[in-house]
Amino acid sequence: MSTRQTILTIIEDVAPDVETDDVADDADLRDELDIDSMDFLKVLVGIQEQLGVSVPEVDYGKVRTLAGLVSYVDERSTLGEGQSP
Amino acid sequence: MREAIAAAMERAHREIPQYALQHSIDLEPALQWLEAHNASRSILERMLPVTLHVRAVARALAKYPDLGGQYLDGRFEPAKGIHIGLAVSLRGGGLLNPTIRDADQGSLPELWSRIRGLTERTRKGGLRSSEMSDGALTITSLGDRGVDVVHGIIFPPQVALVGFGTVAQRPWVVNDQVAVRRVVEASLAADHRVTNGHLGARFLHRVGRCLQDPQTL
Repeated sequence: MSTRQTILTIIEDVAPDVETDDVADDADLRDELDIDSMDFLKVLVGIQEQLGVSVPEVDYGKVRTLAGLVSYVDERSTLGEGQSP
Repeated sequence: MREAIAAAMERAHREIPQYALQHSIDLEPALQWLEAHNASRSILERMLPVTLHVRAVARALAKYPDLGGQYLDGRFEPAKGIHIGLAVSLRGGGLLNPTIRDADQGSLPELWSRIRGLTERTRKGGLRSSEMSDGALTITSLGDRGVDVVHGIIFPPQVALVGFGTVAQRPWVVNDQVAVRRVVEASLAADHRVTNGHLGARFLHRVGRCLQDPQTL
């Protein structure tokens, strides 16, 4: 599964009513999906558990969009190639 | 659920003579303290600002207990503890206000863990009965939604509601100089049958004062 697909699956778990097919790469995820800070933490926990990348608080600004999140994870994934375990 | 919310808000609007106050709070010291605390913590251990808001309101309520309790059958019944209700929105439009009991007790990381657990149980199901009653007052925070200030409506039979808007950078005078600070607008809606604006103002000011010394929370 690609990084993007894994992230969308994690988002679906937090926001099950969202049609993730419709999520634009450059849209602000919190606004677009109506996710608050508490749910956003759950997305980050899912990414850490499933993709092995921990996003420090200082980098939250880099992961506000789906595209930002995917590239952030791909750049830091220990497995490289953007592949999940 | 929409009907239940409508009934409660209709009752509040019909029965409660509310007064409203607003206070700008410099959150820079609190947020800097929080960022330093969070820097070395795992994701779930990183506290959100709501933790400090809840504790500051709890401290202020302990000092001004007339803002916490219930107004029933023409009389005010003070709360038996510093139990803080949290307005939690649900996906699909629902709204609940579960309770953090004794929110003035324990460390901030413990309070954060309780807030996180309570929010999770509110959204996923599994609230305990003790978490669904006895709120002394309620906090509503719309800080994730970009609005400057919340002009809330009290959850009856409670007698006060504290609102927090979005933290935003604002020009702020520090030592006669204009500086850029992160500021939040706190608001209070309170029942005039129980308290006056004078006490409400002292309460809201106390919330702001507490947030200037986050290490003491």
